[in-house]
Amino acid sequence: MGVDAEVTGSELLQFIIAGLKNGSIYALVALGFTIVYASTKAINFAQGEFYMFGGMFAVFFLSGLGMPLALAALVSVITVTAVGLGFDRVAIRPRRDAGPLTLIIITIGGSMVFQSFARHAFGPDERPLPVFTAGPSIDFFGAAIERQTLWIWALTAVAVVALTILYTRTKLGRAMRACMENREAARLMGIDTNRVVTISFGLAAGLGALGGLVVTPLTQTAFNVGPSMGVKGFAAAILGGLGNPLAAVAGGITLGLLESLSIGFLSSTYKDVIALAVLLAVLVLRPEGLFSRASREKM
Amino acid sequence: MGARPGRAQRSRLVLIAAIVIALAALPFVYSDAYLLKVLSFVGINVIIVAGLSLLFGYAGQVSLGHAAFYGIGAYTSGVLAVRFGWPWIACVAAAVVVSAIGGLILAVPTLRLKGHYLAMATLAFGQIAYVAFVEAKGITGGIDGLSGIPSPSLGPLELRSAESNYLLVWFFVGVALLLAGNIVALRPGRALRALHASEAGAQACGIDVVRTKVQVFVVSASLAGLAGSLFAHLVGFISPSSFTLVLSIELVAMVVLGGMGSLAGAALGAVVLTLIPNLDAVVPGMSPRAVELLQDWNADIFGVILIVVMLFMPGGLAAGAGRLAGWVRRRRPAPSEAEA
Amino acid sequence: MSLLAVREVTKRFGGLTAVDAVSFDTHEGQIKAIIGPNGAGKTTLFNVLTGFERPEDGTVTFDGREVVGMRPHRVVRAGVARTFQNTQLFDEMSALENALVGRFPRTRTGMFSASLRLPGTAKEERLAQEEAAKTLRLVGLGDASSVPAGDLPHGRRRLLEIARALATEPRLMLLDEPAAGLNSSETEALAEVLYRIRAEGITLLVVEHDMGLVMEVSDDIVVLNEGKKIAEGPPRLIQKDPAVIEAYLGEEEADA
Repeated sequence: MGVDAEVTGSELLQFIIAGLKNGSIYALVALGFTIVYASTKAINFAQGEFYMFGGMFAVFFLSGLGMPLALAALVSVITVTAVGLGFDRVAIRPRRDAGPLTLIIITIGGSMVFQSFARHAFGPDERPLPVFTAGPSIDFFGAAIERQTLWIWALTAVAVVALTILYTRTKLGRAMRACMENREAARLMGIDTNRVVTISFGLAAGLGALGGLVVTPLTQTAFNVGPSMGVKGFAAAILGGLGNPLAAVAGGITLGLLESLSIGFLSSTYKDVIALAVLLAVLVLRPEGLFSRASREKM
Repeated sequence: MGARPGRAQRSRLVLIAAIVIALAALPFVYSDAYLLKVLSFVGINVIIVAGLSLLFGYAGQVSLGHAAFYGIGAYTSGVLAVRFGWPWIACVAAAVVVSAIGGLILAVPTLRLKGHYLAMATLAFGQIAYVAFVEAKGITGGIDGLSGIPSPSLGPLELRSAESNYLLVWFFVGVALLLAGNIVALRPGRALRALHASEAGAQACGIDVVRTKVQVFVVSASLAGLAGSLFAHLVGFISPSSFTLVLSIELVAMVVLGGMGSLAGAALGAVVLTLIPNLDAVVPGMSPRAVELLQDWNADIFGVILIVVMLFMPGGLAAGAGRLAGWVRRRRPAPSEAEA
Repeated sequence: MSLLAVREVTKRFGGLTAVDAVSFDTHEGQIKAIIGPNGAGKTTLFNVLTGFERPEDGTVTFDGREVVGMRPHRVVRAGVARTFQNTQLFDEMSALENALVGRFPRTRTGMFSASLRLPGTAKEERLAQEEAAKTLRLVGLGDASSVPAGDLPHGRRRLLEIARALATEPRLMLLDEPAAGLNSSETEALAEVLYRIRAEGITLLVVEHDMGLVMEVSDDIVVLNEGKKIAEGPPRLIQKDPAVIEAYLGEEEADA
C-alpha cells in the first residue's frame, strides 16, 4: 500500500472489516488482562501465551490426536483454562500480596516457561488450522468478508455476552465484582477472594485461548506469537481503561480500527508500531483509559 | 553490619582485590580464545546489569526495555565508526551520551508511572527501538545488520586479540562497578532505596523524587550504552536480533537472581546466567550434546529462575549468601570480638 | 510574628470539602495540637501544609515564605518536617540508614561526586553518620541503629520516623498521630521525646487522638470538625468549650 494511494469506498470498508476482525481478537486478550487486573491489581505478563496456547493446543488436538475440529477447539479452551487455574495456584497465590514488582517478575517468568514449553512440545515451526467453515468470502458492498471473520465476530460476541451474564446474573459474578471494587471489603463480607482470583486467571486464559484458536486459520500460529499479542491486548485494555470489561472490548475494537486504518492511509511498514505508540501515548497522557471513569490511583 | 565495620570492610577489600587480580592475570596464565570471548560477553552483561541494578534493584523502577539502550549504544558507536570514521574512544563517548539522552527521553514522560504501568511503557519503548533498528535501513543496515565495525584502538594501538579485548572489557567492568558501588554506598544510593521503599517517605526527607528518577534512568541507560559500544567493536557486526525483548527480560532475570538490592549480587547473577548457555567455556571437557541441551532449555532456565527466586528467595543470591554466612558463623565457635 | 500562618485554607475532593477555610497560627517554640473527630480533615490539612496536596484556596506562610505550590521536598528544605499516620519508613534499611536519609536536605553529595568519591564526600558522610546517630539517641533508639526498620516493634517505628524527621533539621515538625497504637508507657516516653524536641528549639504541630497526651503536652489546641475550625485555645478552655463537647458527643453517638 503506497503512502499516497487513493482509498476508495470499498477499500475503506475492507480496512474497517479487517480492523473489526483484529479488534475482536484484541478485545478477547484485553478482557483477559482486565479480568485478572480487576481481582488482583496486577498485570499478567503471560496473558499473550494463553492466546498462543489456544492455537497451538487446537492444532495439536486436531492433527496430533485426530480430534474433530470443533472438539479440538473446545478441548483446547478447556486445557488452557486449566493452565490458567494452575498457574495461579502454583506461582501467583503464594506471593499474591507481595506487590506489583513481584507479580510482574513471576508472570514474566511464566511467559518464558509457557513459550519454551510450546517450542519443546510442538516444535519451532508455524502451524496452520483449517477454517471452521469452508467456502468463498461473502461480498459486502464491494468488500469481502472471510467466513472465518464471521466466526471470530460470533464467538467474540458469545464470549462477551456470557461474561456479562456471569458478571450480572450469578453469585460468582457478584463476588468478582465485589473484589473488583475492593478486595479487602469483599474478604470481610465473606467472599473467598482466593477462589475469585483463581477463577479470574482461568477465565483470562480461556478467553485468550479462544482468541488464539479462532484467528489461527487466518494467520497460522507459532510458539513465539504470544508477547506481541500480549502487548497489543494490553494496549487495548489500557486504551479502554483497566479493570472494566466493557471498556476492554471497546478498547480492543478501537485499537483494531486504528491499526487497520493507519495501515490503509499511511504505510504497512509501521504496522506493529501503532499499538506500541497507542500504548505509550495512553500510559503517558491518560492512564485511566478513554472509556473508563475510574479515578487515577492515589499515591 | 557487625560491630566492627572496619574489619568487615577490610575483608571485603581483600576479596575484591583477589577477584581483580585473578581476572587480570587470567589471560596471561590460561589464554584460551573461546573462554576469553565468553568472559568478555559476561563482562558486557555485568556492565548493563550494574546500571539496571541501580534503576530496578535499588530504585525499584522496572525496565523491560534495557536492550534498547544497549542497542542505541551499539548502533551509535558502530554507525559513527563505520560511516563517519570516528576514532574508537570518541565512538564510546558518543554511545554513552546518546544512550543517556535515550534514557532521558524515556524517563521524563514516564515519571508518573509505577509498577506494571512503567513495565509496559518501557517494554513498548524497547519494542519501538527494535522496530527502529530494523526499519532505519539507511543508518542501521536494517535486519541484515551493520558490519565492518573496527576493533577498539587507541591511536596506533589496535586491540584485536581476544586477550586485549577481554582486558579492555573487564577494565570497564571495574570502572562501572566502582562508580555504581560508590553511588549505592553514599547519599544518592540511600535516596534510591528510599524511593523504592516509600515515595512519600522519601519526599518527606527532602528527596526530589522526579529528579532522582530521571537521574537514575540516565545513569542506567548510559551504562547500557557503554556496554553496547564495547559489544559493537568487539564483534564487529551488529544486527537488531541482539537487542530484543528477550534480552531485556534476561537482564531483569540477572538482577532478580542476584538480589534486588545488591550490586554485587546483580553482577554475580549476570555472570551465572551469561555462562549457562556457554558453560563449555568454563567447564573443560563438557560434551557438545550437553551444551546444546543447555542452550535449548535456556529460556526455561531463565523463566524458572524468575519464578523460583520470587517464590522462595526474594532476596536472590545476595540474601542467600548472607544467610549462608550467618549460618557458618553460628556453626563456628565465634571469636568473642565477632559477636555483634 | 508567627512561624506558620495558615489562612483560609480550603481543600476539596470532588464534592467533598475536606478542609474548609481553616486559619490559625503557630508560634515559635510552641507545641500545638490539632484535634477533631475522625474525618475532620486533620491529615488532609497536614498534607496541604507539607506540599503533598495543593489547596483550592488559601495561603500557608512559613517563616515569611509561601508554602502552597511548593513540592514536598522543597517544604522539607525550607524547614518543615513531618511524620505519617501510617509510618512511611524504609523497611529494609537499618534505623541508622533511615535517619541518614533524613540528612538528605542538609547534605550535598550527588550521583556524580559520589561515584568518583570526590574530595569532601567522605567527610560529609562521616558527619552525616554522626548527626543521624545523634537523632536516634535523642528519641531513645541509640541501641537499635543497625536493626532494619521493618524489624522494629510498632512503638519504636513511630520514634524512628520522628528521628528521621528530626535529622532534616526542621524548625517546625508536623507529627500525624504519633501516639496511635502506643501503650501507656510508650506514650509517656513519647511525651518525654516531644519535650526534648521542643527543648532543641523546634516548634511542634501534632495531630493526635490521645486526649491525655494532648492535654498534657500542648500549649494550644485547634479543633476541627467536618473540615471547619470550631475552636482554638489553651487545653483548659478547649475542654470546656461547648462546640467541642458537642462535636465529640456526636461522634460517640454515631459510634454507638
